[in-house]
Amino acid sequence: MYSWRKLREKLFTCLIIALSVLAIAPVLHIILTVFANGFAVIAKAGTSFFTDLPPTPLSKEVGGIAPSIAGTLLMTAISLPIAVTLGLFAAILTAELPSNPLSLAVDAIAKSLASIPTIAVSMIVYTLVVVPMKSFSALAGAVALAVIALPYTYTYFSTALRSVPSVYREAAFAIAMSRWGAVVRVLIPVARKALTTGVLMTVARVMGETAALLFTAGRFRTGVSFSPTAPADAIPLLIFDYILSPYAVWHQVAWGATALLLLAYLMVFLATKLIVKEVRL
Amino acid sequence: MVGTIVFSKRDKLFFLSLLPLSISLLAVLVVSVTTIALHSLDAFQHFGLALFASSIWNPEREVYGLLAPVIGSLTTSAIALLTALILSIPLAITIAEYLQGALKSVVSSIVELMGGMPTIVYAVWASQYLVPFLKQFAMEPLHSALPFIPLFSCKPVTGFSVFAAGVAIGISIVPYVTTLILEAYQSIPVMYREACYGIGATRYESIKILLSLARPAIIAALVLGFARALGETTIAVTTVGNSMYLSSCLFAPGYTVSALIASQFANAYLYQYAETVLYSSILVVVLIAIALSFYGSTTIVRWRLRVVV
Repeated sequence: MYSWRKLREKLFTCLIIALSVLAIAPVLHIILTVFANGFAVIAKAGTSFFTDLPPTPLSKEVGGIAPSIAGTLLMTAISLPIAVTLGLFAAILTAELPSNPLSLAVDAIAKSLASIPTIAVSMIVYTLVVVPMKSFSALAGAVALAVIALPYTYTYFSTALRSVPSVYREAAFAIAMSRWGAVVRVLIPVARKALTTGVLMTVARVMGETAALLFTAGRFRTGVSFSPTAPADAIPLLIFDYILSPYAVWHQVAWGATALLLLAYLMVFLATKLIVKEVRL
Repeated sequence: MVGTIVFSKRDKLFFLSLLPLSISLLAVLVVSVTTIALHSLDAFQHFGLALFASSIWNPEREVYGLLAPVIGSLTTSAIALLTALILSIPLAITIAEYLQGALKSVVSSIVELMGGMPTIVYAVWASQYLVPFLKQFAMEPLHSALPFIPLFSCKPVTGFSVFAAGVAIGISIVPYVTTLILEAYQSIPVMYREACYGIGATRYESIKILLSLARPAIIAALVLGFARALGETTIAVTTVGNSMYLSSCLFAPGYTVSALIASQFANAYLYQYAETVLYSSILVVVLIAIALSFYGSTTIVRWRLRVVV
């Protein structure tokens, strides 16, 4: 016969485990449904899903999402170096001079910046870049993406650099290296795997961002363009528009594109896991 | 730390060489906030606080009222917070207390995977699966069982509603809140746990004690989750139903500030005041979000200094 205390223990354990399963369940269901729906569409469309233009609303053919793939690649390629460079310099500053007032400020600012809604960034870039340039462009989209990625990139990098044991830094100074020498030849090489993970996580964030592109990238879906100053499309943007539309064929395309995006994200995620697994300092 | 005690000449050079690029974060923040503030000035001058006293979107006649989206944003975030609260604390406890070895790292990886997943994926899933599911298994039962409570008083028609958006956003912030709670929970020094077991506490009792010790950090994590939920756009647009009608019922379609902007900003330049009104609405959200995230992160830091010595 259980005492109340033991029974309560069991009940509590069951409740906690049940709620945890409930918390994990959505992501498993998401992956299952997205892949089931999406790969059916991609299989139906074949390789033309990657090379064709999106269908008209009443078309029978699924078509493809080539403009969106091109746009996502282009904007990721432009925004990544911006976010990585700025984030890295800020991270070096706060990791090397941690008690400097500016470092403390940069830390606090990164947190505030991360809390600005991404749609606000989209509005700001619209006003400051799109309006003066008189057109939507891949460049404007990339600027918005870089602004959104920056605080996250900074946080990944600063965590990576701060995790380097201080003995490495001391050893570098002991052999009369300059501060920059120590950073470039000791700190960064020691932290390279964590830094690479940071870059990959930035890629994951940039390629999946939707709201930042709403008023910046434009929605160029009638051809494949790699020009930074011309309007561009992105996979998340296409999904967003098509899933909100009432047309069945657009819903199908949206599912296919979502599966593609999720697959790309899973691959990047897996890559970060493999890199981290190797590193055992 | 090395080198910070004395600010030598070489250190100064090092500092100066880092300065231009590293203040970019500061510059971005300043430019962002001033742009939003400057562009919302017109709306505040022209409409005053009356802007937040009614719910109307009629750019043709230049009549605006932002009450419904602002209330909608706060309500959806509150529901999201409740969802995250119910799911995150057990998940954090399970990872910290009940799982071990490979299973523990698999579940932590899943939480990490959820945290970085593009919100558009959540949005697609929520609009196609979660909303019908909630309509059938949560909204309709609640409405038929408790129709006298104003929150549940209306019949869910399509399912797209403030309630659905709240739950969907809540699910998307679960990993974020879980990570913060887990970090706090695991940073409690082991001596507290030993003390619990030492006086013969069961696992439940010691978890209860440890949770009460971590309470300020958990509240801060929830505040940060609320701030994040406020700004969520894609999930909100696809699930909230996008209606300017203010209702006390959670099952009626509504609006959030970010959903309003997502659907109206593209055409706002056609009208005299639409753009500045939208800017003023996001100003409110940005200020709340920055204030809350500042409060949340400083609370966690202070708690850590007090508990984790």
